[in-house]
Amino acid sequence: MKRFHAAVRRKAPFFAPALLLAATLLLAACNAPQPGPDILAPTEEQTKLRSFQSRTLEVADRQVALRAVMAVLQDLGFIIERANEQLGLVTAARFAEPNFNDLVAVTVTVRAVDAGHMLVRANAVHNNRPVVDPETYQRFFAALERSLFLTKG
Amino acid sequence: MVRTGALLLLCLAACMQPYEGRHEGQWNAMDQVWMSEQSQVRLRAAQSRVFDTTDRMRLLTAIVDTLQDLGFMIGVLDEELGIVAAKRFDALEGGLIYDPNYHLYDSNSLMLFSRTYLSWGPFYHRDDVVRVTVTVRKRNEGQSVVRASAQYYMHAVEDPEPYQRFFRALEQAMFLEAHRFEEPTGGR
Repeated sequence: MKRFHAAVRRKAPFFAPALLLAATLLLAACNAPQPGPDILAPTEEQTKLRSFQSRTLEVADRQVALRAVMAVLQDLGFIIERANEQLGLVTAARFAEPNFNDLVAVTVTVRAVDAGHMLVRANAVHNNRPVVDPETYQRFFAALERSLFLTKG
Repeated sequence: MVRTGALLLLCLAACMQPYEGRHEGQWNAMDQVWMSEQSQVRLRAAQSRVFDTTDRMRLLTAIVDTLQDLGFMIGVLDEELGIVAAKRFDALEGGLIYDPNYHLYDSNSLMLFSRTYLSWGPFYHRDDVVRVTVTVRKRNEGQSVVRASAQYYMHAVEDPEPYQRFFRALEQAMFLEAHRFEEPTGGR
């Protein structure tokens, strides 16, 4: 027993900082995360994403553009949750392939740029995580352009 | 040595589970009413800005665009009342270990929701939802007041800085300068 105490005393200088560190870590884990000043400010990543998510289309009528957006979302298997003509907003959701275990939700806005053009912006989330792959948006806009062409035709 | 050990034991006793330690227990829901830590007037001033327009649709459109820029998904939208509510998931409670259920969580119904598996959620995912409500109301014949209020980690955001940055982004979307909001004096 005496030998054990002596060993502990000898190693005490090493134990004490380790214990203090553990205590600090435990205390830190108790603190609730605080909101940073940037929680409501766009990050650089979001600004970059914005360019992938936007496309200007050659349509004069906003209602035509909105109808095309809804038609495309329906083509892609989405269920329209909300469509607001005045604000040019459509939200939709669907179960994601291949297992249909995950959810994909999308918000699309349509804004007039000038007399003959509309700016369409889409942002999607996959199970609460933003979709950041530019190709997904490219495919959506390709389908939208096709749909507009079909409506015109 | 003994003192350090005692301190460690105290820490362990004080917060056996870090999750519990990060939340205060409320035995009475009435406590929620008094949760605001800031002066109401100061908070309202920080959360509000005056815009020199009465075009509610223009303001609402810019708000929706700004929220979209910030990665929020629009939840509630009423152009007659002038209200927009949106939410975003910030992985605050995610931890180091990947939880496969984590991203299946539906924050509205507090449920895990998928075609093959349906269960009540792990409630701690509620902490990760960042919510924002923005309201627009007419102030006088030429001005409107926009007020934003945010919730982070289930607590109201009372620091003025995030709101300042939000309104800066909104000003850019509107191409319009916002003024500080001051309560009209001599009123009720």
